Amino acid sequence: MIDSKVLIIDDEVEFASTLCQRLRLRGIETAEAHSGADGGAKIEEFKPDIIILDLKMPDMNGLDMLAEVKGRDPQVEVIMLTGHGSTASGIEAMEKGAFDYIMKPVDLGELLNKLEQADQKRSETQHDN
Amino acid sequence: MKWNNRWLSRLLPFFGDNMANNVVLEKDYANFARSLFILLLVLVLTPLTIISGLSHYQYKQLLQKEELTQLMLNIEQAESTIERFVSKLQSVVRFVGSADRYEELLNPDKLKALFTRLQEEYPDFADIEIIDSQGKQKSYIGPYKLVGYDHTEQQWYQEVLNRGVYISHVFSGYRQVPHFVIAVSRKHLDREGSWVLRVTIDGKILQRYVDTISTTSVADIYMVDADNVAQTQPRKFGKLGQKIRLHVPEKVNYDSSTILPIALSFFDFKHLEKVNYDLSNDFSEHEGIAQKDAKISVLKTEQGTDVLYVDVALKNTPWHLVMVKELYIHGNAWFFFQLRLFFILFSCIIIAVLVILKISTGITAYIREGDRKREHFLAEAESASKLASIGQLAAGVAHEINNPLSIINQKAGLVEDYFEMTGPFQYKKEMQGALDGIQESVLRCKTITHRLLGFARHTDVQTEEIEINVLLKEVVAFLAKEATYNQISIDFDLDDTVQNIFSDRSQLQQVFLNIVNNAVDAIGKNGRILLSSSKIDQDTIKIKITDTGEGMSADVQRRIFDPFFTTKETGKGTGLGLSISYGILKKLGGTIKVQSEIGKGTTFVITLPVTHD
Repeated sequence: MIDSKVLIIDDEVEFASTLCQRLRLRGIETAEAHSGADGGAKIEEFKPDIIILDLKMPDMNGLDMLAEVKGRDPQVEVIMLTGHGSTASGIEAMEKGAFDYIMKPVDLGELLNKLEQADQKRSETQHDN
Repeated sequence: MKWNNRWLSRLLPFFGDNMANNVVLEKDYANFARSLFILLLVLVLTPLTIISGLSHYQYKQLLQKEELTQLMLNIEQAESTIERFVSKLQSVVRFVGSADRYEELLNPDKLKALFTRLQEEYPDFADIEIIDSQGKQKSYIGPYKLVGYDHTEQQWYQEVLNRGVYISHVFSGYRQVPHFVIAVSRKHLDREGSWVLRVTIDGKILQRYVDTISTTSVADIYMVDADNVAQTQPRKFGKLGQKIRLHVPEKVNYDSSTILPIALSFFDFKHLEKVNYDLSNDFSEHEGIAQKDAKISVLKTEQGTDVLYVDVALKNTPWHLVMVKELYIHGNAWFFFQLRLFFILFSCIIIAVLVILKISTGITAYIREGDRKREHFLAEAESASKLASIGQLAAGVAHEINNPLSIINQKAGLVEDYFEMTGPFQYKKEMQGALDGIQESVLRCKTITHRLLGFARHTDVQTEEIEINVLLKEVVAFLAKEATYNQISIDFDLDDTVQNIFSDRSQLQQVFLNIVNNAVDAIGKNGRILLSSSKIDQDTIKIKITDTGEGMSADVQRRIFDPFFTTKETGKGTGLGLSISYGILKKLGGTIKVQSEIGKGTTFVITLPVTHD
């Protein structure tokens, strides 16, 4: 069971909302944003524990946003979404503090697995604190 | 310049459209080699031939001049010697016949005593006689009884009275021995009229002189009178007392008595042209000859030999001195000179031909090699540039397709989620099947987009030590089942000593997998695939993958590494396998080449560096 609140930031509205819906169906509290700016506002408002962040958005680079998010709250875990089919950009994101990365089209089972791991990591970190 | 360019481009082989057509290209190279050969040959042989021709001409001119000069000198000397001798004889006769000695000479005893003394000095003096002013012989010492003989009707007698001195032709007369006469006339001191002293001299005396001055360098030397009757015995061209057989033309090639310097219009060039002899030397060098009545010509003897003929009139005599010389140009020395010149020229031509042949074939081979490299380089560059541009396009397309694909994937997933939450209803099973179909297609698209993206991206090379033989066996293991099913035997010919390489294992796996997979597809059923490894040198290894499939045409071979080029049925191949393999091998510092023949099969030859930077 994933207790964390999950925010999906992706400029593809249909993708973000459908993924949101599917996660909600699995009992996960989710919100969605469709741009970098929108994402920033949603973070303030929704205060997510985990963010699923698209690497490439029209108004903001996913890696810059990652840096901003991590700068604001290092506890927030970020899973990067990459449409490049390349592990390189995902690995780069992980080096900059992302929890993990997942390639589009997303396999939900794989995503849930990563969410669980992130959730677990958060709870472990909270316990340690 | 334009002309030059056009001319050069015509000479050089045209490679443009012919690159693909080896037969036409080889013909062009052959034409180029031939044109170059001819051009160089002309460049070399033209000056060589001109120089040889000039040398031949100059040498001939020189020889002719030298020959002519030598002959001039000879005849000048001979003429001068004979003239001096005849002049001396005249002086002797004049001295004997002094005007005041008429009475003394009429005395036979005194005349005899005088004649005896003369004969001691000149044994060839045959007789001596005194003729009075009436033309009657008064006194005579000699073999005949001629006292009282009347000479008044004789032509010589009139001549000697008129000119004071007379020298006759050589004739036989009563004696039947060739002889000539010198006569002088003297005026009586005490009365009117002239008396005459006449001496007959044996012709041998002239023969001896001519023989003395004769040299081996001339073919003949003799004396003739104005009617060309021999006055001495010629060696070759006639008999004493007879007309010389040698034809003397009416027009001679050079006649010093007529004009000086040489008047060309006066020359009879007919025969000169035939013998190719140039007599147009400046005879002013030979003043002695020039001042005399000299005739120089080239004549043909009865034997057909060309001879140089010089005829000089001897001063104060009825005689001409003739020298005949065989032309050097028809002699052995000239023949051997020409033979030597021809041999040298021929040797030079042979050497030039061989060297030029070597140069023209060498240059052609060099150009051919350059073109081959250029063609190879262009093909590589074209391929690389095609790969790069298609890679970028593919990456863009894949990325853009990924987004709607993600939406389809999620939407279908959402519908599946709802299906699970919903109870049974009509066609639920069929709809579930359709959704599975959508997800399968999405998965297939995902594979394609990921491959396309992988094709374009520059992933890092993960270097590790690889045993290439082991890697090949691992790759084959993936396809063993399919090969067995299709009755394809996969064999190995692996060199155990081949060195381990440092490269990217997974990317190499992908390369070999692609190629072996293609080989299996190419064979279809029943066939053989052979994988071999070997060591090229310390730094490079070679892997060959040969199949017994249907093979490929030259056109297919050229396009085999192009992205999206496939000969497989639609849906069965993406056309990316070999182009990705090509890209990977290039990135890893290796190469890949294909050799194929329709109906026999295909071989891929891969080289890999042992270490890769």
